[in-house]
Amino acid sequence: MKTLCWIILTSLATALAGRAAMTDAAEAEARRKEVRQTFLKDIVPFLQANCYECHGNKKRKAGVDFSRMINRPEAADYRRVWQLALTSVRDHEMPPREADKQPTEAERKRFADWIGTIKFLSVQDPGAFVIRRLTKAEYANTLRDLLGVDPAVAAELPEDVAGAGYMNTLSPLQTEQFLGVAQAALDQALGPVGGKPTKLAKTLLGEPPSPRSDAREAARKVARSFAGRAFRRPPTEEEVEVLVKVFDLGRESQLAYPEALRLMLKAVLVSPQFLFITPAQEAVADQPIVPLDDYQLASRLSYFLWATMPDAELLSLAASGKLHEPAVLRAQAKRMLADKRSRALFDGFGAQWLGVGGLQQKTFDTAKFPQMTPALRAAMYEEARLFFESIVRENRSVVNFVNGDYTFLNGTLAPLYGLEKQVKGPEMRRVQLADANRGGILGMPGVLAGTSMPERTSAVKRGVWVLEQVLGQHVPPAPANVPTLEKQDQQKVASMTLRQRTELHRTNPACANCHKLLDPIGFGLENFDAIGRWRDRDDSGGAIDAAGELPGGKRFATPKELKAIIAGRQDDLARNLTEKLLAYALCRELEGYDQLIADQLAETLARDGYRMQTLISEVVTSYPFLNRRVQTTVTANAK
Amino acid sequence: MQNRFRLSRRACLQGLGATLALPLLETMGWAEAKAAKPPVRLAFMYMPHGVIMDQFWPKSPGSFLTSPPPALESLRPVLDQCLLVKGISGVAIAPFNGAPHALELSTWLTAKLPDARQRNRINIGISADQIAANYVGGFTSLPSLELATMPQTHKENQEGLNEGYYTHCSFSSPTQPLPAEINPRVVLNRLFGKTNQPGQPTQANPLDRRMLDLVLGGARDLRRRLPKTDQEKLDEYLDSVRSVERRIAAIEHRQKEAALAKAGVSSTKRNDADSPTIEIKIPEGDKRSEYMQVMCDLNVLAFQTDTTRVSTYIGSTPNGVSYPELGFKNEHHSQTHHNQDAEMVRKVAAITAFNIEQFAHMVKKMATLREGDGTLLDNCIMMWGTGLEDGNKHTRENLPFIIAGKSGGSLKTGRFIADVKGNQGDLLTTLLACMGVPLDRPIGIATKQIKEMMVNA
Repeated sequence: MKTLCWIILTSLATALAGRAAMTDAAEAEARRKEVRQTFLKDIVPFLQANCYECHGNKKRKAGVDFSRMINRPEAADYRRVWQLALTSVRDHEMPPREADKQPTEAERKRFADWIGTIKFLSVQDPGAFVIRRLTKAEYANTLRDLLGVDPAVAAELPEDVAGAGYMNTLSPLQTEQFLGVAQAALDQALGPVGGKPTKLAKTLLGEPPSPRSDAREAARKVARSFAGRAFRRPPTEEEVEVLVKVFDLGRESQLAYPEALRLMLKAVLVSPQFLFITPAQEAVADQPIVPLDDYQLASRLSYFLWATMPDAELLSLAASGKLHEPAVLRAQAKRMLADKRSRALFDGFGAQWLGVGGLQQKTFDTAKFPQMTPALRAAMYEEARLFFESIVRENRSVVNFVNGDYTFLNGTLAPLYGLEKQVKGPEMRRVQLADANRGGILGMPGVLAGTSMPERTSAVKRGVWVLEQVLGQHVPPAPANVPTLEKQDQQKVASMTLRQRTELHRTNPACANCHKLLDPIGFGLENFDAIGRWRDRDDSGGAIDAAGELPGGKRFATPKELKAIIAGRQDDLARNLTEKLLAYALCRELEGYDQLIADQLAETLARDGYRMQTLISEVVTSYPFLNRRVQTTVTANAK
Repeated sequence: MQNRFRLSRRACLQGLGATLALPLLETMGWAEAKAAKPPVRLAFMYMPHGVIMDQFWPKSPGSFLTSPPPALESLRPVLDQCLLVKGISGVAIAPFNGAPHALELSTWLTAKLPDARQRNRINIGISADQIAANYVGGFTSLPSLELATMPQTHKENQEGLNEGYYTHCSFSSPTQPLPAEINPRVVLNRLFGKTNQPGQPTQANPLDRRMLDLVLGGARDLRRRLPKTDQEKLDEYLDSVRSVERRIAAIEHRQKEAALAKAGVSSTKRNDADSPTIEIKIPEGDKRSEYMQVMCDLNVLAFQTDTTRVSTYIGSTPNGVSYPELGFKNEHHSQTHHNQDAEMVRKVAAITAFNIEQFAHMVKKMATLREGDGTLLDNCIMMWGTGLEDGNKHTRENLPFIIAGKSGGSLKTGRFIADVKGNQGDLLTTLLACMGVPLDRPIGIATKQIKEMMVNA
């Protein structure tokens, strides 16, 4: 019944969205038709003429068979192959040079352009939202909020396995250790067995029932209320019953009332309902796409922005069935971002995006960089965090990530900026920067160190980083068996600057295609050494030449000018951050239809001055955030 | 008995509908069995990036024992208990040509490539150690032990492959990488409980086992309410809960055994007084050799006490690893692209020798521990190896492997076989066959067993 109401409510909401949706749908359909027509008319013949010989159903070189892909070119599985096809056809790597038939320049372009439109073939699909286990950090935070314990109680759990670039995906933790952690957390929260109960013990467990009253009933009450928080939704009657059975087990084994309750709470903490985010409502049979129920949504929102369980306000909005309303969601997102728990958005997302998550573990040549102490690394991380948070909390434009003119420093970090006279002491504080070469993530020591080798900078790594992480461009991997810099004739290159050495790469045509894009950006940042200090000469003693040119004839001579060019590409910046944040929020790689959603979000963002909170509230009210696909595919799979 | 013995652990655990009985435990401990023969244990230890070939491979089968190559120097005292085979090729990595290092480790024990269409997720194959653990894991309190030196958090995207592929070698199912433990103290606790006294079992709480039983029962209701895709995810978790249950049951069993022993009715044939006790000292400093040796000691201890029979130790991880202890700062990976530069070749050789030394430390210790009529090493298969042949060119034609131990008598050691024709899957299949693990299908790309390695070949 509840489910039925839900469906009616959602369809009502959809109906209210009204006419705009109708025309959108018609437009989408028209575009789909057009893209498919181009595909049949131009692209299939192109593939047949130029590619099938090696990548058809007879030969499947490199595992690529276009003849299978043409039935459903929009399938998520094929995205990668299309991307690769795009770059190799555009850059004349394919068909191979020795092939007799070569497509014309116009044909190549048409092919590449069409690949950019594949996304329009996708049908509406929110993607799967498979129940997922809490990550180690989420698990620790949830124990903190549930039991008031130190999150370090989970410190010994193994690290998570990252997926699709972000750690927010499911990871297998060792269950065995969950049991030990659950025990330790309960001991910490409730006090030792048989000892004096803590204040929390009294709240959680209540008074022991009088001998005459029903102990089972009292236990049932405790089970219902504790599981309601721990499962982040009301437990079902069956679930409560299982917990009461655990209580019975404890009693049968001669445990005192409070100890039997403790065993029951432990059962809650090792239940899949605690470790996984599970729906409150049963899946409706035969419905491929369903909206998230409000409790599931509360968890999704709260693990996205806080990396912990929903608080009382979110749960009460879920209970009243209001949470999914866009206005409510937006208001909640705003409230949550102001809360200090939202630092999780940096720890979980920002740190990975900016590549500063691994700074503490990263190897640096200690002889060359003795100052890379744990304290300095921590300060670098803090700088990136505070900068990221300033953009989120002050609702600034995402373009500020590149052209911000302030940062956060303490006495440990200031020498890297040459500001040791102005900034002293251990606490981080906001500093207005006079030097426009600094400011923003491109001139930030943590980011610069993150893209360096232990003993030197890497222009290539920095270039790739800026293209992929800042501008959202796809950089194909280097072909196999490429010699690294270390492999060059050591004597011949001894007196060359890193730039001169790297440019040797580009004399090889196989390398030149990508490196003419990557290298200028990396060289543009060569004034920053491997830990982010300013320098005028590199290790060879040669003067740094930071000048370069980007496609489209945009020239620059200093990091400051390079930053300005990149900041000018605000749509690319915004679109990239949208994609990355959406993927993080959805805990999965983006697929075809998500690209269309990302397009829409990026448009809205542009209209609203690229403001960060707009981006976040658009993400949490987006179609794939609110819905989920519960069957394998939404369309019949053409095999 | 025979039929029962052939039942794999996974078969017992399969499907939620299966009963939660613990059929194997009652007859488990090897020491109780009549005509006790010590069980065979299997261990893998790994280093990435290949070796300097002419310093690794012996000049000829004849010179193997008398003048071993420099890389094997540390193994000299136990070379007669080692077996080297040349001619084992790795998995060809197309279409992932741009990811030679991402796949070194993850193909090592699976002999298989990831699913190319779902490369951002883990989808590869169950690894050889886990196949073995499924078969023998039910006999011991830990089905298998996974160790590593570095945290498994490599961040690099090659060919769009899931980053987990860089740092994992053990997969309990095609989609489930097993995390390795890097903290020796945690390993010690997991092996023997928080008592810190090796040999003293954890205070297993039978209540926990029965509580988990109820939780699992409840999970069945939850499962029914979920769509199919969710059910699969849940099953992965429920499988592991069940293994905890079994582990507790196994510990209970051991406690019973210990109580019996105390009462003078021991059924155990092992005499602990035969072997020196191993003292585990957690190192204070950050010297890599000390750290790795503690991990190796823990591995020895786990085998000696029959706490587990299968282990993997990721001694080092691709990329980002340097060896300050050897007197140079360079990263291992950068040196392997040496292009025959003498200094870089020297460094790679030193790193290789260093890793083999730690392996030798473990093997030599096992050779001193008495077990049955021989030594612990006699009853083990200890394999050291690396995922490339030559890191300079990323070749994988003759993967370097060292096998130590006689596998209870089925491996013919003290030899270098210079011309084996086989692949990584064949090798793993052979080792599992030596251990007595029946396979329902070959491992990865395997097509055969390498009979030359075995006794009576």
